[in-house]
Amino acid sequence: MGEGTTASRAADAVAAVAEVWDWTAANLDDPIGPKLLEHAQLSFTSVLLGLLIALPLGLAGARWRPLYPPMLTGVNVLYAVPSLALFFLLLPYTGFSPWTAIIPLALYTLAILVPNVVDGLNQVPDHVRQAAAAMGFGPLRRLLQVELPIALPVIVAGLRVASVATISMVSVASLVGLGGLGQLILTHGFKRNFPAPVIVGIILSVALAFLADAVLVALQRWLTPWARGRESGATTTRNRHIARAAVARSRKATT
Amino acid sequence: MITFEGAGKRYPDGTVAVDQLDLKIPSGRTTVLVGSSGSGKTTALRMINRMVEPTQGTVAIDGTDVRSRDPVLLRRSIGYVIQQAGLFPHRTAVDNIATVPLLLGWPKARARARARELMELVGLEPGQGRRYPHQLSGGQQQRVGVARALAADPPILLMDEPFSAVDPLVRAGLQDELLRLQAELHKTIVFVTHDIDEAVKLGDTIAVLRPGGRLAQVDTPERLLAEPVDEFVAGFIGYDRGVRRLSFFPARDLPLRSDIVLSAETTAEQARSVAAASGQPWLFVVDKDRRPIGWIGSAGLAGEEGPRPLGTMGVIGYGHGFTVSTDSLRAALDAAVLSPAGGAVGVDTDGTVIGVVTQSDLGAAIWPLGDAGGVLAATSDNG
Repeated sequence: MGEGTTASRAADAVAAVAEVWDWTAANLDDPIGPKLLEHAQLSFTSVLLGLLIALPLGLAGARWRPLYPPMLTGVNVLYAVPSLALFFLLLPYTGFSPWTAIIPLALYTLAILVPNVVDGLNQVPDHVRQAAAAMGFGPLRRLLQVELPIALPVIVAGLRVASVATISMVSVASLVGLGGLGQLILTHGFKRNFPAPVIVGIILSVALAFLADAVLVALQRWLTPWARGRESGATTTRNRHIARAAVARSRKATT
Repeated sequence: MITFEGAGKRYPDGTVAVDQLDLKIPSGRTTVLVGSSGSGKTTALRMINRMVEPTQGTVAIDGTDVRSRDPVLLRRSIGYVIQQAGLFPHRTAVDNIATVPLLLGWPKARARARARELMELVGLEPGQGRRYPHQLSGGQQQRVGVARALAADPPILLMDEPFSAVDPLVRAGLQDELLRLQAELHKTIVFVTHDIDEAVKLGDTIAVLRPGGRLAQVDTPERLLAEPVDEFVAGFIGYDRGVRRLSFFPARDLPLRSDIVLSAETTAEQARSVAAASGQPWLFVVDKDRRPIGWIGSAGLAGEEGPRPLGTMGVIGYGHGFTVSTDSLRAALDAAVLSPAGGAVGVDTDGTVIGVVTQSDLGAAIWPLGDAGGVLAATSDNG
């Protein structure tokens, strides 16, 4: 390969960066800003809705153990349904409202969140649970003041995986006219054979995922000061284990 | 008074955890339920605060059947210390201790103030209050557990193998602390353990349960060691119960000899004459502050030059001494067994030597006790 080729490639790259920069500057107010906001809103709402469904399911799965295996199969089967199919399936009912994207995305988070809620509750040590009963905690108070707080690090570990997975999946909803940054990639970039919006869409999507993860880490540190300095403890090792398993699961499902 | 009347627990699969238990647990005293695993001792304990419901018979506190009371409210009125402490990992030591007062609706400031009071009572440093349980040692966690159980000043304290997960040294410290607390607080303590030594040390009364949840014997520790009702109880308390029973007799009445205690400056010649006059084969050497150094045998003295002081010669270690004013005959016997000279060194509370007990004097003091209770004789029969 000659020097000329290398030089022209370098020039191409500079030109591409300049193009991306120019396009970004010209389109910041529209469509980049609104699409970024939409992407964040869709992801956040989906994960929140997922958590609201996963909590009672997880509580039931932890309390009535025979219930858990079929429940786990159920949420995994849901995860295996291609997202595109779910979006189109919902279109007749929810039309082009955000719910067409939010409902499937929320259902997908269950495959990550339900096992983490169950694992989190199951790892509350038995002697702690018994001590709580013996002190005179009623069942509800025990759940809210003892079991859930102790399960929190594992639940947050699940939320981190679910958020990142959801943020990357929102883009697919652009196929039904939703999908935030996915629309930059699909409508503004891909369909016009114009790379700049595709690159901007990817960069912002990754940045959003990083931001969401950082916020959750900060939230966990603030909510569970007691879990700090337990890095070598069994609990944290277990959290990592669970998080890693969840990552593996989400990768498998998205490919 | 806690009364078990024909109380039993049979699980749906047919397992009997507790069988027809009749037991009166007096107020203000410590009653220890002891037995091997599967003897139902924890199940019996949990019937008192309705963590386990009896399937037959009744459990009553001061004449009121516990089943007539709301379990949650009942439990708030009974202190509970669990094995491994069962502390809430997400709450600081102070907030753990304040748990029951807060459940009872005390204002937060008052509950915390009470918690700090209790930390002092159980021997925790004020600075440890802000720590989380995992930042405390096993012994400190148990202290927090005991403080938490005492926080609302309940008249009854249930303790389920509370000290079994800590090392023996810490366990002994916690047991002493509990004895000190109980001397001050006079709670009705029901204590579950599988460790007969712990039972003998802590209990005013000991109830021995046999596998299958049946009561074998209820007695004071001393009587239990002296007169086990059957082979099972005798086997459970172990074949050294004769020696163990010596813990109930004080060492202060032992004849202490100071004539064979010599200072380090004493010359070999002087020591030889002391040995000859006393007829004792072993002499004990102390330093100028009367602190113990060790034993020297008359055989070792024989070859030494006359003017040589004892302090420059090789002495033999004495193991450990016993504190004359507070220790028991068991401690004195142990000191003698560990000493190569066969005698025990009696020290004052400040560690200075008062005198030594010779092997024959110790034997003479112990033997009649064994004869009187038939303990030592019975022990050899069982062996």
